[in-house]
Amino acid sequence: MMEPDSGPQMKPLLELDAVSVSFKGHEVVHGVSLNVAAGEVVALIGPSGAGKSSLLRTINFLEPPSSGRILINGQEVTNRSGRRELDAHRREVGMVFQSFNLFPHLTALENVALAQIHSRGIPRAQAQARALKELAHVGLASHAHLKPAKCSGGQQQRIAIARALAMDPMAILFDEPTSALDPELGVEVLATMRALANEGMTMIVVTHEMHFAEHVADRVVFMADGAIVEQGPPSQVIRAPQHERTRRFLAAFRDR
Amino acid sequence: MIELLKVLLAGVPQTVAITTSAFAVGAVLGLPLSMLRRSSLGPPRWCAASMVDVVRTVPPIVWLFIIYYGVGSGSLQLSTYQAATVGLGLVAAAHLSEIYRAGLEAVPAGQWEAVRALGVPPLPTYSRVILPQAMIVVVPPMASFAIALLKDSAVASVIGATDIAYRAVQQTQMDLNGLANFGMAGFLYILLSIPIAVVARGADRILMRKLTGA
Repeated sequence: MMEPDSGPQMKPLLELDAVSVSFKGHEVVHGVSLNVAAGEVVALIGPSGAGKSSLLRTINFLEPPSSGRILINGQEVTNRSGRRELDAHRREVGMVFQSFNLFPHLTALENVALAQIHSRGIPRAQAQARALKELAHVGLASHAHLKPAKCSGGQQQRIAIARALAMDPMAILFDEPTSALDPELGVEVLATMRALANEGMTMIVVTHEMHFAEHVADRVVFMADGAIVEQGPPSQVIRAPQHERTRRFLAAFRDR
Repeated sequence: MIELLKVLLAGVPQTVAITTSAFAVGAVLGLPLSMLRRSSLGPPRWCAASMVDVVRTVPPIVWLFIIYYGVGSGSLQLSTYQAATVGLGLVAAAHLSEIYRAGLEAVPAGQWEAVRALGVPPLPTYSRVILPQAMIVVVPPMASFAIALLKDSAVASVIGATDIAYRAVQQTQMDLNGLANFGMAGFLYILLSIPIAVVARGADRILMRKLTGA
């Protein structure tokens, strides 16, 4: 477990400094600052519309920030960064989507190998060997030659995790990775993510899975209305929240 | 009857040549046009949109006249076949670019996000991810358009391209037997459209199988 404010003494892997995100002039994230240390698992929780997903998507510039600074490993990317710099940044930050977004016309193996070949320039044979290794990593080596349509939702999401892992990212962002899955299938995805966390992968997870946030995350960040309300170790934020807004949100889970 | 068939069959190569080359021109030119129409920048998008509109609003026969008598009478001498290829190729590019655009738009936004998040450059993004998926949406309307183009290629006869329609007109001017001549010509157009439909259906089946898993 990592102390919540271990950032300052250790150089953070990821630094968000007063990041705002706007859609069509409407600001949904208001100057959020967040540092994430290497190996840290951060759970971003909060009500819908809190700006969790927007903030997450801004980290790899799927949504460009309207203001603020984003640094990974001390390297800053901005709205003025060229496509190559942006691509390089994105290769360092893996992304796992709510709706998996696997390539439906390609097999699991090809899904995992594609970006290695066309983004990292790794030779095909080597990329496929790595893809097979990552599929084995998420327990799906036997599914390598199946198209996504032949796999369950949980399996598809694990293939998507393998796809992110094969790029050797410094961190992986998860955008509600189990929200599109029924609970039974969500479990296998959460188990895969827990294993990754234990291996020391840096992860930022937007989630409504309070059990996962409480037991796997090193730090829980509660967001509401586009700002961080409170953050700290799960024992503090989830077990003994300081703010009324956090208490109200968590009560909705407890009363379920 | 056999005599008539021989006369009209002599026009088949020209009809096939004009249709296939105009389709090829349109299939190639339509691709950049459809991408321009999806550009995030205004000017290229407006240019492409107005080009498509202008080309589609002017009747094909007028394009043929413009190219054959207008452009082709100057320093640039065009054969009837070349003029027909250019004129109908332009029309095909405009129509096919719209079909491509519909295909590109049918690819879910999540696919674009996935490749962007993986840092994949534009060329493999299109060739490996977007276009293979757009193909499935695009093949059936492309086949319909190919059949429409085959029929519309008959307008090339008015600038003197020696295709099926041209032969039927010539024959009728000699024997005044319009019903038989044009009836037979119509029948030949039907026959020629069958292989297009067959190929399209086969391609559609293969693509569907690719998407739903081996």
